[in-house]
Amino acid sequence: MASVSTPARQVAAGSRRPAATDRSRSSGGTGWLFATPFLVFFTLFLIVPLGIGLWMSFTNSSLTGHGDGTFVGLDNYTEALGDSQVWETLGNTVWFTVLSTVPLVVVALVMALLVYTGMPGQWLWRLAFFASHLLPVAVVYQIWSMLYQPDRGMLNGLLQAVGLDGVTWLTDEKVAMWSIALVTLWWTVGFNFLLYLAALQAIPDHLYEAAALDGAGAWRRLWSITLPQLRRTTGLIAVLQVMASLKVFDQIYLLTKGGPNGSTRPILEYIYDTGFTNYRLGYASAVSYVFFAVIIILSIAQLKIFSRGED
Amino acid sequence: MSGLSRRGLLRGAVYGAGAAVTASALSGCGSLAGSVTSADDIQYWTLFTGPDGVLMKTITGGIEKRVPGLKVRTTVLDWGPPYYTKLAMASAGGRAPDVAIMHLTRLAGYAPGGLLDPWDTDLLAEYGLKQEDLNSTLVKRSLYQGAPYAIPLDTHPFIVFFDRDVLDKADLLTTDGQLMPFESPQHALEMMDKLRRSGGKLGPVLGHVNDAAMGWRMFWTLFSQTGATFDLTGKRAEIDEDTAVEVVRFMADLTRDSRTMDLQTANAAFATGRSPLIFAGEWDMATFKPTLKDRLGGSPFPTFYDRPAGAADSHSLVLPHQDNPDPERRRRTHRFVAELVKSGLTWASAGHIPAYTPAVSSSAYARLSPQSQYAGAAKQLALDPPVWFAGSGSDFQTRMCQALDPAFAGSSSAASAVRTMISQINTLMAQPNPA
Repeated sequence: MASVSTPARQVAAGSRRPAATDRSRSSGGTGWLFATPFLVFFTLFLIVPLGIGLWMSFTNSSLTGHGDGTFVGLDNYTEALGDSQVWETLGNTVWFTVLSTVPLVVVALVMALLVYTGMPGQWLWRLAFFASHLLPVAVVYQIWSMLYQPDRGMLNGLLQAVGLDGVTWLTDEKVAMWSIALVTLWWTVGFNFLLYLAALQAIPDHLYEAAALDGAGAWRRLWSITLPQLRRTTGLIAVLQVMASLKVFDQIYLLTKGGPNGSTRPILEYIYDTGFTNYRLGYASAVSYVFFAVIIILSIAQLKIFSRGED
Repeated sequence: MSGLSRRGLLRGAVYGAGAAVTASALSGCGSLAGSVTSADDIQYWTLFTGPDGVLMKTITGGIEKRVPGLKVRTTVLDWGPPYYTKLAMASAGGRAPDVAIMHLTRLAGYAPGGLLDPWDTDLLAEYGLKQEDLNSTLVKRSLYQGAPYAIPLDTHPFIVFFDRDVLDKADLLTTDGQLMPFESPQHALEMMDKLRRSGGKLGPVLGHVNDAAMGWRMFWTLFSQTGATFDLTGKRAEIDEDTAVEVVRFMADLTRDSRTMDLQTANAAFATGRSPLIFAGEWDMATFKPTLKDRLGGSPFPTFYDRPAGAADSHSLVLPHQDNPDPERRRRTHRFVAELVKSGLTWASAGHIPAYTPAVSSSAYARLSPQSQYAGAAKQLALDPPVWFAGSGSDFQTRMCQALDPAFAGSSSAASAVRTMISQINTLMAQPNPA
C-alpha cells in the first residue's frame, strides 16, 4: 500500500505546487473547479430542459405520454402565431409590464430621493419601504383580496367615506389590471428603492460641493448631477423590472385567475393552462419559445436605449 | 399524510384464498410468506383536504381494521388542475398509484387515452358491491366503450341552502318544510323580491366572482333545465344561442344582490344571516351548519324551467393505468374500493350524497339534516358535457366563468357573454385531444 501511495502523493503534490505559486497560469483551471457545481446544475436544470423544451415545441407531445416524439415541424408555431389567445395574453402581459414598470421605477426613485435628502430616521424609512417586499405572495394576496373587497373592503370604505362610489377592483375589465399593478407596486417597490438609495449614497460629495460653490440650486443639482449619476442604476432597474413584470403570474393567478373575462390573463398562465391543464406540452413549449423570443427582443431594445449616450 | 398506513405495518397476514389462487403469477413478492410489507400497501391518491380529508382518513382506517391484511397508504394532493396534472403524469410515466379519486366528468379526458384501467365488476360484486346498488346516472357516465372505468363514491350537486325561518315568513316553504316550487323564471323573480321585502335584506346570493366554477355551475344548471341543444360532439359547438342568452339574463337577475361577491363573501353573507338563500355546493353544508344550526334548510336546485336539473359531479374511484398490474394487488384494491363505497353513510356526514343507494335509502340517512332534504338532487344530475377538455378543475370551466362574470356584474350584456362562451368552446374543440 505504502509503495503505491507515495508516488501518487508526489504526483499530487507536484501538480498542486504550481497552482500555489503561479496563480496567473493556473487560475483558469481552479476557476473551472469552483464553477463546476454551478455548471452541473446549470446544465442539468436549465440548458437540458431548454433543449428538451425546444425539441418538444416541434412535436405533438402531450403530458399524458401520447403522441410523444411525433415530429410535426413548425405546426405548433404556425398555430401559435394564429392563436388569438396567444396575442391576447401577450398583450395583457405587455400592458401589465407598462403599468407596473413605470411606477416601479419612478416611485422608487422619488422614495429614495425623499429619504436620502435629509429625512430623519433613515433606518425607519428603509424598513418601512422594504418591509412589504419580504412578504410571500400568498400573504400579499390575502391582504389585498380583503382590501379590494367591494362590499366590505377598506379601499371602498375610504372612498365611500369621502362620498365617492365604490369600485369593483378585481371584477371590472377596465380596472382589474390597474388593481394588479397597484398590488405589485406596493409589494415590490422596496427593492428598487434600496437599489436607488445605494446608488445615491455612492455619488461623490465633491460633485455637490463644486456645484454649490458655482451657485447651483437644489433643482439644478438634481437635474445635472443626481439624475445623470443614477443613469446606470436606472438602466439596471428598468431592465430587471421589465423582466420581472413580463414573468408575472402568481399575483394574477391568486387574485383574479386571469379574469374578469380573461382581461388579466398573462401569457404564462396561458402556457401553464395549455401544458398542464390541457396537457398539450408540445404546443405549450412552442408558445413559450414565442414568448422567449419576445423577451429577448425587448431586452435587446432596452439595453440599446440605455447604453446610448454612455459611450 | 400517510400516517394511517404505518400503524400496523407488520401486523398483516396472508390476504386470503384469492392470494393463493393468483400466487403463481407473483414473482416473489412475499404475500405467501405471511407478512405485509409497506410495498404491499395499496397506494391511494385523494384530493380530500379539510374535514373531507379527516373523514376519508377515518373511513380508510376503519376498513383497515375490518379487513385483515389490507393496508392503505393515502397520499393527499391539493385538489384542482395540479391534481389532475400529477395523476396524468403518474399514469403516463408508469408509476401510477393503485387507486385514485377522480371527478367523473374528467373521465372523458383520461379513459380514451389509456390512462385508466377498467374495473372488474364481478370482483366488486364478490365483495358485496353490485353495480345496481349505485346511482344509475353515474354508472352510465362511468362507462367507456361499455367497460366501467370509474366507481362513483358520491355525487356532489349544486343545490340551494336557505334559512328556514326567513323563508317560512315569506311563505316560500311548503307545509313539510320544503322549498315552494316555482312556476317560471318570472315567478321566481317575483318571489325573490318578496323575499327581499319580507327579510329586509339581500335576496339569493351566489359567490361567483373570480371563481373557477360557480358561474359555470349556475349556467349549466339552468341551461340543462331548458333541455335546449348543447352539442359538443361535432367539429363545432351546436348551442341554442337564444336560450343561452335568456338563461344568462335570468341568472344575472336572480343573483343581482351578489354581483360583486366572491365565494367567501357570499358564504359569509349567508352564514351570518344577511342573505336567506344561497346557490352553493352541498360540500358547503359544514360551513353553514354551525351558525344556522336547525334553521339551515337545503333543497335540490329548484326547477325554474321545464325539467329538474342541477350541475353536479361525482368523486369516483379509478384505476390509473399500470402496465403489469399484480393480480393479487388488484384484488385487494377492488376489496378496498368495495368497502369504501359501502361506507357511504359515513361519507354522507360531510354533506355528499352517497352513490351507494342502500346508504341513501337507509333510516340513518333520513335522520341526517339537511342532507336527507336535498338528497333528491341525485335524481337530477347534470354533469359536464363528456368532452376531454371539460369537467371539474378544467380550463374550460374557468373560461366559461370568466366569460359569464361580466354578465353577472352587469358590465356587459348576456348576448356578449354567450358569444364569448361559444367562441371559447370552439377554440377548445379545434384543439386535438392530448390523451
